[in-house]
Amino acid sequence: MSFLLKRTLGAGKNLGRAVLNSNQYTGIQRVATKTDVATPQVETRPTVAKLDPLQKSQLIDFGKYIAECMPKYVQKVQITAGNELEVLIPPEGVIPILQFLKDHHSAQFASLVDIGGMDVPNRPYRFEVIYNLLSLRYNARIRVKTYTDELTPVDSACEVFKAANWYEREIWDMFGVFFANHPDLRRILTDYGFEGHPFRKDFPLSGYVELRYDDEQKRVVVEPLELAQEFRRFELSAPWEQFPNFRGNPVSEEVVNQSGDQPKKE
Amino acid sequence: MIWFKKYLPIFRYTSHVRDFKTCVLLNAKRWAPDVDFMKQFEGVAIYPTEEIEKYFKVIYSSIVRPVERKLQNMWINFGPQHPAAHGVLRLILELDGETVVRADPHIGYLHRATEKLMEHKHYTQNLPFVDRFDYVSTLANEQGFAIAVETLLNIEVPPRAKAIRVLCSELSRIANHLLNISGTILDAGGITPFFWMCEEREKIYELHERLCGARVHCAYVRPGGVSQDIPIGFLDDVHEFCMKLGERCDETEDIATENRLYYARTAGIGAVKAHEAIYHGFSGPMLRCTGVKWDLRIALPYDGYDLYDFDVPVGTMGDSYDRHLLRLIELRQSLRIINQVIDTMPAGEIRTDDSKISLPLRAEMKTSMEALIHHFKLCTEGYIVPPGATYTAVECPKGELGFYMVADGTSKPYRVGIRSCSYNHLAGLSFMGKGLMLADISILIATIDIVFGDIDR
Repeated sequence: MSFLLKRTLGAGKNLGRAVLNSNQYTGIQRVATKTDVATPQVETRPTVAKLDPLQKSQLIDFGKYIAECMPKYVQKVQITAGNELEVLIPPEGVIPILQFLKDHHSAQFASLVDIGGMDVPNRPYRFEVIYNLLSLRYNARIRVKTYTDELTPVDSACEVFKAANWYEREIWDMFGVFFANHPDLRRILTDYGFEGHPFRKDFPLSGYVELRYDDEQKRVVVEPLELAQEFRRFELSAPWEQFPNFRGNPVSEEVVNQSGDQPKKE
Repeated sequence: MIWFKKYLPIFRYTSHVRDFKTCVLLNAKRWAPDVDFMKQFEGVAIYPTEEIEKYFKVIYSSIVRPVERKLQNMWINFGPQHPAAHGVLRLILELDGETVVRADPHIGYLHRATEKLMEHKHYTQNLPFVDRFDYVSTLANEQGFAIAVETLLNIEVPPRAKAIRVLCSELSRIANHLLNISGTILDAGGITPFFWMCEEREKIYELHERLCGARVHCAYVRPGGVSQDIPIGFLDDVHEFCMKLGERCDETEDIATENRLYYARTAGIGAVKAHEAIYHGFSGPMLRCTGVKWDLRIALPYDGYDLYDFDVPVGTMGDSYDRHLLRLIELRQSLRIINQVIDTMPAGEIRTDDSKISLPLRAEMKTSMEALIHHFKLCTEGYIVPPGATYTAVECPKGELGFYMVADGTSKPYRVGIRSCSYNHLAGLSFMGKGLMLADISILIATIDIVFGDIDR
């Protein structure tokens, strides 16, 4: 009796899952993970990205090498998004690490591609400064990430890469991260008399002020914001789990963790 | 003396004769300067004061002594509204005569805070923002965004979608180089090629319109593939366009490339050395003109670029003339790629099979309940991207367009950082512009290939 019930109930359960999922028989199929370091398996499914295991293993080796060469500053080395190497350092280590990566013979990351900023207000050091480097010689990319808060300055990378000049001006303008020893740190993208740092998460999307031309004063005046419609916040979170296939996928895989703690990725 | 006056009456009839005074002068009543009078003119008449120093002085001796003067260089404003500024560029130039001593670009006149806006919209809604970065080559930007999101989603698009994306990207490259080459010639003084090449760009816009409905800002290349399949007969028209484009470029080359005047205007202007270019973060044609063989389509191939056979030109001198030639050759190589794409276009679907990411077909949506549910959820909430961070770059026609994208497990990105090539190139203007004359600055701005949607975002 119970055997029959289980069969019918079990059949119904399978049927429901097969209709809602695009991948049928999820229980049987191997879950896609990005963590196949020990046994690099070649991905065969057509809809999943194919990453080069050789490139990944080379990046892992290089990450370990950097951690060995600069143990004072390298706090963590990780691989994100399948095959991108990230080195996490404290803000004191910006100039030594960037100089090392630029000048060391087996690194030669001569091109600074991008310096980006990110604001995570929950953290005590809320701002993250991300340096993306490119090695033309070895055809590789690397990312160096540091942290800071509103008041602590970070050393400017201008003496290492001239390309850092405008990027650091932009981060100062948008986030308020001060770069020490920068030759010319002033605003670059915002208006000349603008107050505030727009890309911080606590700065509202519509800003605080609006500008208009005043006919009586014959100039552009700055006034507090008046919106015709209030800001609509769409709550777009779904109640059910979205990516069962990626449940086992880590956000980032650790290669080297010297600080020992486990910071949570946002 | 008048003792003879009693004898005077005999002289009565000579009264018209003047008296002869032998001892008194004729005009004894008139005053004449005497010694006392002359004494008051001895000595200094006037002491020079400050006001007098400003008077014009006649130089009586032939010795002219040089005057010490303090001069200051002139600062001019190559303002935000200027026909040669290629957008809204405010360039503060310090000029010594006609030579530029210092160039300081002020940007931000087109800043739209795209990176902040993108944090508030889901990924499909963010796609039209990306079109508006490099607005002369829109489909190439979309391709970069799509590849970045696909890296985070860990998916792969079908081969037909990749081929269509390559086709769109190369059409954008042609459009961009057409504009830039003719724009530079326009700044140098030759007005006609601009009209010819804008006519060709008009044809590309018509092709875009047939493809996706919009001429410029297409929103066509999406994460997961492309939004619609190419219409019937589209590839024939692309082929016809490409067959004729080579001759159009020849016409422009006849005017400009062999021209002494154009060579004199562009040779040696803005010469960059290879290590300087890498040090300043250049990419794309600005880097290749210095001799560095670096092209992301070959070095880190994406979207099936390794299936096509094409050359990447590399310059030698690093000056504006090299860039002109380089862009012309790149244009012809793009034609080569498009021909190969047309020949080898694979059949198949144009979107990933994953129904959690790509929209269902319209017919399916109207008949199947699950497809309707998926359509609803994808259109309102968008697809959820698993948490992760990536930096993905593509070879835009102007250089390297990179997206540093951080996803947090919702359908909206947590942070999208956009790395555009024109930003670095314009920053390089401050070192490339030193020593150039004012007329060369406008040529330099043209050959750097900047567009302000890219710079200001």
